[in-house]
Amino acid sequence: MSKDKKEMVGYRQQPGKLDFTRPGSGGSSPISEKRGSARIPESQGGELPQPWGPHRHDGLVTGRVIGKRTPLIDSKWKVTGQAVYGDDVRLPGEIIGRLVRTDRHYARVLSIDASEAESLPGVLGIATGEDAPHAFGVLPVTKDEHAMAVEKVRHIGDIVACVAAEDEDTARLAANSIRIEYENLDPIFDIKDGLKDSDNPIHDRGRYHIGESNVQKRVFQKFGRIQSIGDSIASHESSWTFKGVNHGFTEPHAVVAHWDPRGRLTLYTPQQVPHYVHRALADVLEIPMHQINVYRTFVGGGFGGKSDPFPHEMCAAILARKTGRPVRITFDREEVFWTNRGRHPSKISMAIHADDEGRFSGIETDALIDGGGFASFGHVTTYYNGVLHTAPYEIGAFHYTGARVWTNKPASGAMRGHGAVNSRCAVEVGIDDISEKLGVDPIDLRLANLLPPNSATITGFRITSMGMRECLERVRTESGWDEKFRKMPLGKGIGVGCGFFISGSGLPIHWDPNKFPHATVHLKIDMDGGVTIHTGAADIGQGSDTVVAQSVAEVLGLPMDMIRIRSRESDTSPVDLGSYSSRVTFMNANAAVSAAMQIRSELIKAASEITGADEKRIVIGDRRVFSKDDPSIGISYLEALHKAQEDRGALVASGSYRTPPMGKMHKGAAAGLAPAYSFSAYVAEVDVDVETGKIKVEKVWAAHDCGKALNPLSVEGQIIGSCHMGLGQVISEEMRYGRTGNLLNPDLLGYKIPTVHEMPEVVPIIVESNDPEGPFGAKEAGEGPLLPILPAVCNAVYDAIGVRIQELPMTPDKIYRAVESTCRKGGFESPLDLPSPRLDQTPLSKILKERGARHSIRDRERRLKSEPEAYHNGALFGNDPEIPPEELDPDWQVQVLPDEEYLEAPGLAGSAWLHTERRHRGEGA
Amino acid sequence: MVAHPLPVENGVSTRAWSASVNGKSRQIIIRDHDILLDVLRDGVGTLGAKRGCDMGTCGCCSVLIDGEPKLSCMTLAVEAEGCEITTVEGLADGHHLHPIQTMFAECGGSQCGFCTPGFLVVCAALLESNPSPTREEAADAIEGNLCRCTGYQQIVDSIMEASEIIKSEERLVSTTLPASNPHPEYGG
Repeated sequence: MSKDKKEMVGYRQQPGKLDFTRPGSGGSSPISEKRGSARIPESQGGELPQPWGPHRHDGLVTGRVIGKRTPLIDSKWKVTGQAVYGDDVRLPGEIIGRLVRTDRHYARVLSIDASEAESLPGVLGIATGEDAPHAFGVLPVTKDEHAMAVEKVRHIGDIVACVAAEDEDTARLAANSIRIEYENLDPIFDIKDGLKDSDNPIHDRGRYHIGESNVQKRVFQKFGRIQSIGDSIASHESSWTFKGVNHGFTEPHAVVAHWDPRGRLTLYTPQQVPHYVHRALADVLEIPMHQINVYRTFVGGGFGGKSDPFPHEMCAAILARKTGRPVRITFDREEVFWTNRGRHPSKISMAIHADDEGRFSGIETDALIDGGGFASFGHVTTYYNGVLHTAPYEIGAFHYTGARVWTNKPASGAMRGHGAVNSRCAVEVGIDDISEKLGVDPIDLRLANLLPPNSATITGFRITSMGMRECLERVRTESGWDEKFRKMPLGKGIGVGCGFFISGSGLPIHWDPNKFPHATVHLKIDMDGGVTIHTGAADIGQGSDTVVAQSVAEVLGLPMDMIRIRSRESDTSPVDLGSYSSRVTFMNANAAVSAAMQIRSELIKAASEITGADEKRIVIGDRRVFSKDDPSIGISYLEALHKAQEDRGALVASGSYRTPPMGKMHKGAAAGLAPAYSFSAYVAEVDVDVETGKIKVEKVWAAHDCGKALNPLSVEGQIIGSCHMGLGQVISEEMRYGRTGNLLNPDLLGYKIPTVHEMPEVVPIIVESNDPEGPFGAKEAGEGPLLPILPAVCNAVYDAIGVRIQELPMTPDKIYRAVESTCRKGGFESPLDLPSPRLDQTPLSKILKERGARHSIRDRERRLKSEPEAYHNGALFGNDPEIPPEELDPDWQVQVLPDEEYLEAPGLAGSAWLHTERRHRGEGA
Repeated sequence: MVAHPLPVENGVSTRAWSASVNGKSRQIIIRDHDILLDVLRDGVGTLGAKRGCDMGTCGCCSVLIDGEPKLSCMTLAVEAEGCEITTVEGLADGHHLHPIQTMFAECGGSQCGFCTPGFLVVCAALLESNPSPTREEAADAIEGNLCRCTGYQQIVDSIMEASEIIKSEERLVSTTLPASNPHPEYGG
């Protein structure tokens, strides 16, 4: 801007002193910018096409930032090294804490002798289990952790005591000089041993204990027409072994605790879920929650691994209280592996059945998962291993048995794609196998069996928007699938996999969803015109601060620079459940929109008072509030703001979000319920060296239905990043335990995270299905995109060499051995003689293609209807789509407890039901 | 420069250590066995160098020693005695961010940001020695750094974009100097 036109900035911000009538005086140009009609939806007279119909937030769109590639709001801090992570918090007078970790797998702690440590110069405080007897845990139903061992240690690396000293060397020396006397107990490492009765179960659940075993949770679900499974013409059966994997975030855990002179605790911690830490601290420290401020630092990656309240956070607070000094505890990388909470090692049996019309007449899953030493999120994981594969396909029957057992290993927990990843891999590989048995293309088979938009799954999940079909069609076209599948030479292969994931858990863990909202966002706008957002949503690098700020900027028609976000401290942020279950965009942005709408209507009211225009005809544009009919009638944003502030000062608003009532009534019906679901389909192209067994993933076409990409830059980042993490699990990552139960690779050298050279080129494809309840149509993009990469690569490897390997990771040695045995069985001299799989299409192929085309029309019609008629899973099998099948069909089962017949020959995880709970045996009152 | 041994204390010998860190000369007392990363974080106060694994596997602690990317967790402080050390804090030229810093923000090269300082110095060194790298050369340069969020693709994109800027010798708009207008598109 040239000098002569420059406004007096200082003056403009003084309300009442300047005349604001000049059009567009809120912006740089005397005439206000036109609203960018390219981003205004068709329903509002703009040019943004809406193939999925209008959305309830269309009227709020100002064309500002939604849908624009927006750099993260905090990225400048990150690239200049000014971002403060856990270990970067340095307080005056801080001292260093170290945790004393056990070297026993499983033992009773008899005595702890800290006298030598106490006598060391520079040692300021020592704490043991006696200092914090209260149990805590992320789920209120399974509080089984302590700050430090009380009675027993349950895995190598379990915390027994902690010390604080002037410097790190002294702290380490002191930690090493604490003498602990143990009585060893018999440890268990094999997941199957967890099912058996034990003399010393790892935890005691009192009257709810299952037998005398180490079964922590068991699930039985049987839905649909089970007896029809017998009429199937093709079945796939497999039994999978999935090794445990760790999140591998780059920032090791770190925490700083500080009790201020008033006696309040501030805990600085890189946490995904600060609110649960807040609650757990209050329990463990025996002080009210209002005496604690949980401060979330920048978080160096979470992926689920920083979402439990952790013992080391309690230890820091306890040591700081004892010593009266700020205490900082930072983990070595090895300690990150002892804390773990990574994906459960699992044994999964999968059976999928298809009938003569190519419909999935049944899915039977049995999943036994290894929880390690503590419950963590395991209660939920046990459900998710089954219930999250009841979609996107319409199925005739669903039978799931799952069990989670304790073993003497570091605890498993929630990790990106929580509970859904392994069983999804088994399902999608199974579908690939079934399609081969049926002689059809696997994409055709999937397209002919999808649930429509606005439908209910077999266990009663409410599907709203559904972009699965578009995802499959897009990857099929863009990858050149039809020219490549089953047509490439030996060693080259292509495979497809799909995914389905929750967009926010429908049930808040700690309270009744009918009473309290899931998310609350506060806005404050003072005379300067900038908007302060207070939210508790935890930005862990995924860009949640950015998306919340974008939502507010969009509704108020303001540039992002006028938005500032305060999301770090529990003192100033409204309670939020944090970053897990891919809930933040959906729930927090919805809450932010609802708060911004209140401010918006106040601005419009003020503009109407000044201009005399009808409130209903006033819209907000680029820092201007003006009449839709004649944009020259209007006032600047600041003028409207100052009018609205008359007599009351700063505008404040509070918006919240809660889920609508959903789901059925059976036991476990709430697990997996979400206000929306994301869908994804990937095609992977691989190159397998048949002689050495080395896999190179060449290219991935990754289509993800995120409803609406509020920030396409972040959505693409999530898609590509998910490919990276999932790929690691397929080709190289594994927590390796030796014969004696020792973790062999608690470091980033032995735990092989893919480097840049292992990464394929990823083509992210964003499908926008415009979810009716999501903010501006958005759903999640953080976890769902991880699911399809595993099966896509597995299926591509089969396409390349005709060998299926049911154990992940598929390291070269496993492929080599599988190729060798295939050669031996088939009588091939050299692996280079192996036949490459080919597809001979059967007549069923045509039936499926026709059904797919019919359903495509059906889906398009349903998604555009404002109130579509009900559609319950089972309609494809001849039931009335509008009535839940169990109400009509006498053969349609709904069973959540096993019967005698099942218990005669249970599956592996199902055998957990052979135990009787103590309370049902009349014991443990 | 020569290190000056100081008296031995508690069996550990200490010395006066000096080096230029981000263009500023620093003198501090260190112990002989001190690791450069510790000296940078705890002694000098450049917290931009991050500790990820302590064994040279993740690259978060990368710094430039006389322009060469090195793992500061695998380097004794005495090895860097008298050298020019650059951490992420030293990449910006006054108020102008280095093009790779700007592009990491713009292209999504940074998500959680913890590995970012390590990547940035490695990328800056690459662009210094090779202002127009191919995607393969860019990938080779960052092979020692782990990133768990981005899947590297957007990091390589950032390097390619930064290379374009360096080649065009465009000066980036300062984003930190208050006297300049940080939001040109919005006007005064």
